[in-house]
Amino acid sequence: MPLKTADRASAAPLHIVKGRGSSLSALNAAVGVVLAITLIPFIYIAFRAFEKPLPEILDLLLRAKTLQVLATTTALLLIVVAVNIFIGTLMAAGLHFIRLPKAHLFILPTILPLAIPSYVFTYTWLALIPSLSGLFAAAFILILTTMPYMLLAILVSLRRIDSSLIEVARTLGLSRFKIFIRVILPQIRSSISAGALLSGLYVLSDFGAVSLLNVETLTVSIQNMFKASYDRSAASVISILLILASVVFIAFNERLKDSDNKENISKRLMAKNIRINNPGLKTSLLFSVALYTTLAVVLPIYVLISRFIGNPNPIDFAQLFETAVSTISVAALGAFIALLMSAPLGLLLSTRAGKYSRLAERIILVGHALPGVIIGLGLVSLGSKLGPLYQSTLLLAFAYALLFLAKAVASMTSALQLVPSTLKEVAATLGKSKSKVTTSVVFPIALPSIGLGTLLVFLTAMKELPATLMLRPTGMDTLATQIWSYASINRFNDAAPYALLLVLIAAIPTFLLSAPRNPSEKVEISQ
Amino acid sequence: MRALEVSHLSVNFGERNVLSDLSFSLAPGEIASLLGPSGCGKTTLLRAIAGLLQPSAGTIRLGTQLVGLSSVVLPAHKRQTGYVPQQGALFPHLNVARNIAFGLDKKTFSKQEISEITQEMLALIGMSGYESQMPTELSGGQQTRVALARALAVKPKMILLDEPFSALDAELRNELRTDVVALLRAQGTTAILVTHDREEALVSSDKVVLMRDGKIAQMGTPEEVYESPISPSIAVSTGDALVLDAQKFSNGSISYAISPSNAGQTPSESGFVVIRPEEISIKKAGTTGVAATLIQLDYYGHDAMLVLKIANDEKLIRARISGAIDFKVGDIVSIEHQGPVRFFAKM
Repeated sequence: MPLKTADRASAAPLHIVKGRGSSLSALNAAVGVVLAITLIPFIYIAFRAFEKPLPEILDLLLRAKTLQVLATTTALLLIVVAVNIFIGTLMAAGLHFIRLPKAHLFILPTILPLAIPSYVFTYTWLALIPSLSGLFAAAFILILTTMPYMLLAILVSLRRIDSSLIEVARTLGLSRFKIFIRVILPQIRSSISAGALLSGLYVLSDFGAVSLLNVETLTVSIQNMFKASYDRSAASVISILLILASVVFIAFNERLKDSDNKENISKRLMAKNIRINNPGLKTSLLFSVALYTTLAVVLPIYVLISRFIGNPNPIDFAQLFETAVSTISVAALGAFIALLMSAPLGLLLSTRAGKYSRLAERIILVGHALPGVIIGLGLVSLGSKLGPLYQSTLLLAFAYALLFLAKAVASMTSALQLVPSTLKEVAATLGKSKSKVTTSVVFPIALPSIGLGTLLVFLTAMKELPATLMLRPTGMDTLATQIWSYASINRFNDAAPYALLLVLIAAIPTFLLSAPRNPSEKVEISQ
Repeated sequence: MRALEVSHLSVNFGERNVLSDLSFSLAPGEIASLLGPSGCGKTTLLRAIAGLLQPSAGTIRLGTQLVGLSSVVLPAHKRQTGYVPQQGALFPHLNVARNIAFGLDKKTFSKQEISEITQEMLALIGMSGYESQMPTELSGGQQTRVALARALAVKPKMILLDEPFSALDAELRNELRTDVVALLRAQGTTAILVTHDREEALVSSDKVVLMRDGKIAQMGTPEEVYESPISPSIAVSTGDALVLDAQKFSNGSISYAISPSNAGQTPSESGFVVIRPEEISIKKAGTTGVAATLIQLDYYGHDAMLVLKIANDEKLIRARISGAIDFKVGDIVSIEHQGPVRFFAKM
């Protein structure tokens, strides 16, 4: 293999050709193993689905009920994504460009809803308006839930825009509006598309909000079939439909994405920020931030606190504590497994992205699109084959790792890519072997970003509901399942302490995320 | 013994031939400049020597050790070549002292030795007291100094500098370049400096390697490549040059605009003459030489560039003079070429 590689691209960085051939193939093998593990649940679902005879599968797919559920899912997806793109872009641009004192204090409350999962939103809004139900109510809740993904994605790329480009455009006589359309929008298009992807996939995989609001989406259907009849074959058939819906959405989103390459992104941070000081724009920005914060933070937290204080029943603190500990430990274990699983592909993608690693990345991204309910179903279906693992904490943690592997890989890759290749080359000329370079240069520089990524996975895992409902060991509860079980029987008071605790814990990483300067940016400055 | 010997080196990027059949060598302690336009393969050659990429053919020897052959390659981390890339590339997570000590293996050196070497290097670059500063706290020039110290600390067989001064402003650039070259000479370090600045190449090296399209176009001491270019285009790459049409006669005399000779013979060969602007002397009209009109005068302080036009000749003549200027635009003057006549036959 080394010789062949040498022939094909003789000027390839040396490590490929010599000395690193073995570690590269080890890396490739590790990625292969990770991929295989990722794929097991899906392969199993496919097997299960095709246990049914074909006419029966077609019958199930084409019956009116299924088509109606598919239509509902699509409508919900489109409403949420469209509103998110429109409001999210305007709000992010406003937050970035309009001059406000202590601007990041205004960004923080718009990111804070990340800490509140959709089912907690739904439950607090149901406590306020008990009649809330239906497609539009679900869309409203899911927009509140997913808006921060959009805002974060766009804000990050806005920070990377070189301010001199805007200055040049201005000297060329472009109005502010034209600058936005012709200079800024093209540069944030990819991140708008990334935000749309994240919020769309959230909608497809959401279980809590839609089921509490009596909207039957594909995810709800699968969970119901699994629960009501234990007909895993039927549930698997619908799962395949959901997988297809996710794939179609990803493919569509790919087409929207700008084909920008990262090389062209200016590494210069805005030294002196360009800020607009227009009173009218300022007022509308403040109004929209206030409105969003009220709907997505103030009201839900108000409900949680008032229900918590107004609860006539004594709170079972021992149980609360036990639930918190098991939630944190299983989520942390999941984040750790995801970290380990993401390292090989991250290393591969950041040093030399070939066809194989790109394909692996795609597969894992599709895996991320697959709702928790499918991973849950896949692992449950393996059931007895898993032996003692079945219904264990480890399996649940593993499900989290699979679910959020794409997140982990993405943050691992971008963290590792932040390390400029000249640094690795200098280290090599100073006598450091490839693996030494990785441990003494690449990882130390990337560590803060990797840590942040792992924290994100941990936060997301803590809020996970559908897979947890399917896979949790008997007798084990997480904060999410407790909130869910109380809220679904309208015992809002009893759910309050769990929800409050979950939001509090989940808010910590959210604060860190919205910090104006994250460590990854520090590296860029020195370049 | 040679410090570096590159022979018949070729590098391909896929189908593209970036370096082809390139050979040169350096004696120990020699400083060479690789000079050429961007894209000519300077950096590629440097990276091939450092072991950062794989040549397609040819050999590279460091001292007596064969380090690069198309099939056998000593990886970069075993070559002991110091590498200073553009803008230094300091490790952002390490302070100055740790950056300098980065290449010092803890198995080979004791803590005491590492600290001694670091201090010695800091003194060498004139930055004692900076050990705990982080790279972001340093100016561009300081970053380059630390990068150099980091490369020198491991006592490399040679140092490879890839346009290390390109990001600095002119004044700092000259100062730092002078310091770095003096330092390399004091240490007796063999070095290669990649640059696209012709003055930088001439002033800092013993040997100038002029590169064009992946090949060595000319190589020699700074005086050789400046005074005796092998072609008009090479002459331009080492400094300002005037390329004039010329005729060569069978008796050997050469006629060109500044020095017309009417030997009454038929020209045997037509070609070009290359003249450096400082080789043209300007005197009051009527004295020896050819009459020309001064049409532009650019005053630089230390010298001035004059643009002159000889009657009935399209080509403008540029002359560089230093000292007091007694002429003004519009004056008619006499110009004379006082220097070697470099004739190149037309291809």
